[in-house]
Amino acid sequence: MAGNSTDLIQGTLDMLILKTLALESMHGYGIGVRIEQMSKGVFHVNAGSLFVAFQRLQRAGLIKSEWKATENSRRAKYYALTEQGRKRLNSETREWGRQVAAIARILEAS
Amino acid sequence: MFLLRRIASGLRALFRKEQTDRELDEELRAYLEMAIEEKMKYGKSRQDATRAVRLERGNAEVAKEAIHAARWESVVETCWQDLRFALRTLRKSPGFTAVAVLTLALGIGANTAVFTVVNGVLLRPMPFPEADRLFLVSLAPRGGPFEWQPGISDRDYLAFRDQNQAFENVASFTKGTTANLTGAGDPLQIPVAYVTTQFFAALRTNPEIGRGFLAGEDEPGRGSVVLLGNEIWKERFGSDSAILGKTIRLDGVDRAVIGIMPPGFAFPAAKVWMPLAIRVDGHNSFTRPVVGRLKSGVSPQQARAELETFAGHLPLGPGENERMAQVIPLKDLFVANIRPSLVVFTGAVSLVLLIACANVASLFLVRAAGRGQEIAVRSALGAGRWRLVRQLLTESTALSFTGGGAGLLLAFWGVPALLALAPAGKIPRPEMIRIDGWVLAFTFGISTITGILFGLAPAFQVLRRDVRDSLSQVGHRVTGGHERLRGALAISEIALALILLTGAGLMLKSFLLLRSANPGFVAQNVMTLTVDLQDSTYRTAAQMQAFHTRALAGLSSLPGAVVAGAVDWLPLGNALTMGDFQVEGRLRPPAFIVDKPCVSPGYFRAMGIRLLRGREFTERDNETARGVVMVSHSVARTLWPGEDPVGKRISMEDHPKPEDWLTVVGAVDDLKQQALAKSPDPAIYQPYLQVSHPFFLSHMTFVVRTTTHPETVASGMRAILKDVDKDQPISITSMDSLIATTIAEPQFQARLLACFALIALTLTIVGVYGVLSYSVAQRTQEIGVRMALGAQNVDVLRMLLRKALVVISAGIVIGGAGSLAFARVLAKFLFEVKPSDPATFAAVALVLASSALAASYIPARRATGVDPLVALHYE
Repeated sequence: MAGNSTDLIQGTLDMLILKTLALESMHGYGIGVRIEQMSKGVFHVNAGSLFVAFQRLQRAGLIKSEWKATENSRRAKYYALTEQGRKRLNSETREWGRQVAAIARILEAS
Repeated sequence: MFLLRRIASGLRALFRKEQTDRELDEELRAYLEMAIEEKMKYGKSRQDATRAVRLERGNAEVAKEAIHAARWESVVETCWQDLRFALRTLRKSPGFTAVAVLTLALGIGANTAVFTVVNGVLLRPMPFPEADRLFLVSLAPRGGPFEWQPGISDRDYLAFRDQNQAFENVASFTKGTTANLTGAGDPLQIPVAYVTTQFFAALRTNPEIGRGFLAGEDEPGRGSVVLLGNEIWKERFGSDSAILGKTIRLDGVDRAVIGIMPPGFAFPAAKVWMPLAIRVDGHNSFTRPVVGRLKSGVSPQQARAELETFAGHLPLGPGENERMAQVIPLKDLFVANIRPSLVVFTGAVSLVLLIACANVASLFLVRAAGRGQEIAVRSALGAGRWRLVRQLLTESTALSFTGGGAGLLLAFWGVPALLALAPAGKIPRPEMIRIDGWVLAFTFGISTITGILFGLAPAFQVLRRDVRDSLSQVGHRVTGGHERLRGALAISEIALALILLTGAGLMLKSFLLLRSANPGFVAQNVMTLTVDLQDSTYRTAAQMQAFHTRALAGLSSLPGAVVAGAVDWLPLGNALTMGDFQVEGRLRPPAFIVDKPCVSPGYFRAMGIRLLRGREFTERDNETARGVVMVSHSVARTLWPGEDPVGKRISMEDHPKPEDWLTVVGAVDDLKQQALAKSPDPAIYQPYLQVSHPFFLSHMTFVVRTTTHPETVASGMRAILKDVDKDQPISITSMDSLIATTIAEPQFQARLLACFALIALTLTIVGVYGVLSYSVAQRTQEIGVRMALGAQNVDVLRMLLRKALVVISAGIVIGGAGSLAFARVLAKFLFEVKPSDPATFAAVALVLASSALAASYIPARRATGVDPLVALHYE
């Protein structure tokens, strides 16, 4: 069920969610839309992967959730970054940068 | 932290499943609604928008599935489903389930019961602070009669105590003595301990109320104080602390109560404690256990080295053996004797459990074969192999846990039965033997292992199975593998049962030989009465002799008594007075020391000890007559081979003066002084009227030979002794029951092993029967064809029994090798039976083979009744 490529995408999705929440707390749909917007439509996230990621992140204590009313006065679950989540985002961003640079170097060398 | 949070939220989700699901539903709905509204903003109809969102974002149900699958608790849920399914399937075949559960309950129950005892006796620590620093210090003489009993003689103890460096405290104490408590309700004989003053400091246990013994309170003549155990304080003195300072009467001596011990303290199996006055006189010295608490930083090895040096410097008396320096964990005082038995029992019950496992595995294989189609269908419908294996293992563990539960119930009932079967006082600390957390954990553990063990066999079959084969209705062709596996299981069952049966057979034979062993006297129709004359009343040898003379006169004229006699330490008791002596005109063979009983006239006749030469003692052999002795046959043979011992002279003194020489007047048969299983001891008897040392006179056992059943004279004997001294406590037992106590332990071992062996035999017969009837069922068609082609009943029978014989003989050959190994372990328990005793081996193999063959005959017989027509229509 879990191949290496999925792992990579999973990890990436988590990071993107954390990044999105770093700006402000947001509900599930908002997060999905924001990721699409920020990636200019490169990433398209379906509900399944998105909510599995929420569940995973929440259980790991990186995000927390709360029921609130939306601007359209609809009840929705809002997610927010915890202190731990903020730390994780920083470290993952750094790690990501390192990896990207390394991969770039390898690709250029060949 | 992460893990904890995950577990917590997982558990929340599990227990508030509905709420979690509702929240998820609502969240997903809101999500999709927002997406739909977004689309509708661009002018789509609601229907179009909904479809578009579904395409883009995915179906809500699929999303929910994915979310569920990502939760760890969903594994628990599927396991729960598996379990419910397993229980449903098991309920559908109640016969199979009942047999399997019963088999497992027997196996697990027997193991739980034995483990409960092992746990209470061997594994629990002694109830003292830092009990692992407490050791028995022993300097028992090597090769002596009490070599196995750790202890130090009083004389050595005093020397050791003064120069010991390794131990913080050392204390000598008595074990197994009793005293008569009078003046507090009915007279009561209670276990007491005499201890030196450092005893409680060494154990780091102080009286709960009052004080312990003071230094010097163990000096001879000073110790009229006593410490009460909490239990006797509660029972007899109503837990009243006003008892402090008052006196209680023990063995006729008033003792001031100075303290009460805390509840649960009973070491060494005593109810009251008194100071031990150590008296050392020239020749005689008691040997008692000594406890020491190691100084911190000193290892037992260092302590032993120190003790060894000390032992090396001790002068060896004449006839004394070199001393073995030993530093043994304190618990060994109680468990050293019982540990080997428990180890054997543990081995025996694990064999029973293995047989049970083999049996159930075999049953499981039959079922798995019958369910070949079901499994094939499930696997064709997409159930993964691991999922199927998990399902089978869930079934087997569900079974083993049910069996374990039933086994636990069996153990609840079996442990008291086990303890009741054990000889009294043989199992130490019975109050510690109970079903506790450790026992429950043990049962849980073996149930799990058992379940996996017998579930694995069918599971592997599933893994190997080819789906297409099973689906295409030729299921029975792939059962060839089953046949082999089941054959192997039956062989191992027979082998294991043979091991147990051989062990039980050897023990039983040994016990029967022991019971019929000749002790050198005639035990039937002999009543014994034992007194311990107290120092307080009987101060001199003359006073003691006067008591004995009056008692003997009364007992001799008792109606129903043939003859009465007396001896200081009764044969087959636990005492032996060994000593050296001088022989006139020649040197005593080195290391030839003898038992020196002090007896009355009539003793030999009362005990039925054969007089071989000369005469017995008479009343005229008193303090004014010339000194006489009688010798046992082996003494006569060793000292004067080929000569008449009568008229020869010996002396008990190291440097005899002319009047110290004692003339041999008679020779008697050898007898077993120590135990039935030991060889007879050479003995030199002295008449009690010529013995002047109170040591040989204070403890005396009167023996009365009766015309009829010995119990009939008990009340008469009691009355006579009351007439001699009404305050003297006595104990009365028949010689027969005394002997029964001495062989109670081998009897217990033989009985218990026989019990386990019977369980094993039954399980094995059931197992063999199962294997063969299954094989007959599988071959119905083949048998039908053979019979249609003209095979006779006899041919079919022969063919099937041949198969059974192959299994049985393979099991017996393999089991025979295992039995030899097991018998070697048993060797130290065996009396006059060689571990490789051919008669036992042959008998046991025959019993096993014939019962297994009988079990196979039933299904084989059934096969001959097969109607060829029916069999051919079978498919």
